[in-house]
Amino acid sequence: MALQPPSPQTNVPRDDTGNVVDAMLLDTRVKWIAVVFEATVGGVDRFTVTPYVDDPTTGG
Amino acid sequence: MVQQVGAVLVVVMALGGCATEKTSGEQLARVAKDWSLSIRASQVIPVYPLTEDVQPGDVFLVQTPVEEQVKIYLDKGFLPLENLLTRLPVTGYAELYRGWPKVGDGEAAPPRQWQFPSPDATEPDFSRAPLAAFPTYNFSVSRSTGLSVAIPVQSVPVGLNLLDSASANGTITLKDAYTYAVPARRTYDAILNWSRANIDYLEQFEPAGATQDGKSITKEFYLRVINRVYLVKTVDVSLFSNRGFGAAGSAGVPQPVQLLNIANASDAAKQFDAINQILAKAASPAGASAGDASAASIVGEAPAPVAVGGSVKLAMATSRSVSFVETFHRPLVIGYLASDYAILKGGRLATPVPTLNMLEGRPIPTTRAITYQGCDANCLQIRGWRKVAGNQAKLEDWLKAQGEAISISDLETGDHADLRRRVVKELIEGSN
Repeated sequence: MALQPPSPQTNVPRDDTGNVVDAMLLDTRVKWIAVVFEATVGGVDRFTVTPYVDDPTTGG
Repeated sequence: MVQQVGAVLVVVMALGGCATEKTSGEQLARVAKDWSLSIRASQVIPVYPLTEDVQPGDVFLVQTPVEEQVKIYLDKGFLPLENLLTRLPVTGYAELYRGWPKVGDGEAAPPRQWQFPSPDATEPDFSRAPLAAFPTYNFSVSRSTGLSVAIPVQSVPVGLNLLDSASANGTITLKDAYTYAVPARRTYDAILNWSRANIDYLEQFEPAGATQDGKSITKEFYLRVINRVYLVKTVDVSLFSNRGFGAAGSAGVPQPVQLLNIANASDAAKQFDAINQILAKAASPAGASAGDASAASIVGEAPAPVAVGGSVKLAMATSRSVSFVETFHRPLVIGYLASDYAILKGGRLATPVPTLNMLEGRPIPTTRAITYQGCDANCLQIRGWRKVAGNQAKLEDWLKAQGEAISISDLETGDHADLRRRVVKELIEGSN
């Protein structure tokens, strides 16, 4: 049985976004990751990091 | 006149046997695909064959892996609706159709009040159903390929024979189209309740490892829950011949029928009536016996009945074109929208994903979002340790053994402080 695919994560600070993306990409089923700006809270930019198992540019 | 009607009868009746003999599995598959591609263009998942027995709340077990489903969908153009598990007792029509006449929950839930307006009513009444409209579809048809008509209506082979043409172009218009839906939020509640009551049944479909073409894959199963359906009652088909008449006439061969000769309006009207009478007899079970007997006496042989799905009527004809109106007794479902729920370990259901998104390759978030919890001391320790060769596999194996089998990214920065502590203690410190 495989691990569950990584969940999207909200409220990820800018300086840790790279590490979260890196951890999500350990799952080889993840083909594409969206990093979307949420808001700046207390001077820190926060992002939603969403992994996708399908590549939306090719459909595969 | 009798000769002409006889000739019409021959061509109309001949198509029944001709189509049956020549129909191969490949041709039928093409019919399904071409029809489905047309419907898909309207962002609706096609139903094939057409049926009225699909409605919101129907739950289908999809046993095909996602990748395979996409392949089937692209190859065939539709997904076979098999393995109907249940019809959920959904509510929400009253809320969604607030103010809509005679639509509600319970006994007033659609489509029964439209299919059977009263207990003793024999005629459906969809006049109060929400309307839908589809664009006109174009198609080409050739008799040389064995009447492999690209739409599941019977007017096309009839028309092709009447035109006495080897090939034709045509248009199909879906008229009297309706749609109705139940809020996806309500089907979500209903399927969760149903899944809890049937968790033992669903558990047998939890994800399982398998090998395909030498590769290790995970077989996943889905529940497909219908949220909206589209129905059609009337189909208009127009055919335009690609060539003129009389190209191959010879002695002993029936000449092409002049369907509408303006110079002789009286004869044209009679021919119209005669053809429609033949079609009406062919379409009805009674006509297949009594009607055929009289028809056979005209042409001197026993013709095979024409198998038509609804009542077919000739609406217009010229020397190079014919138009038919095919009406189903009650509207049939031609397509649907649905949500897919992956079956997880233990028979639990994952977050719903629109079926169309999955099939069309649109981006699908993997699971529901979690809130980033920060990277604590254990997270930092895990991040450094898993980058050493071989440790990622050890961590994955350990997580798989923990039941939930969460991903590494969820472990590191999700709400799993206890699990991180155990990883550090059992895997990292334990290996030192």
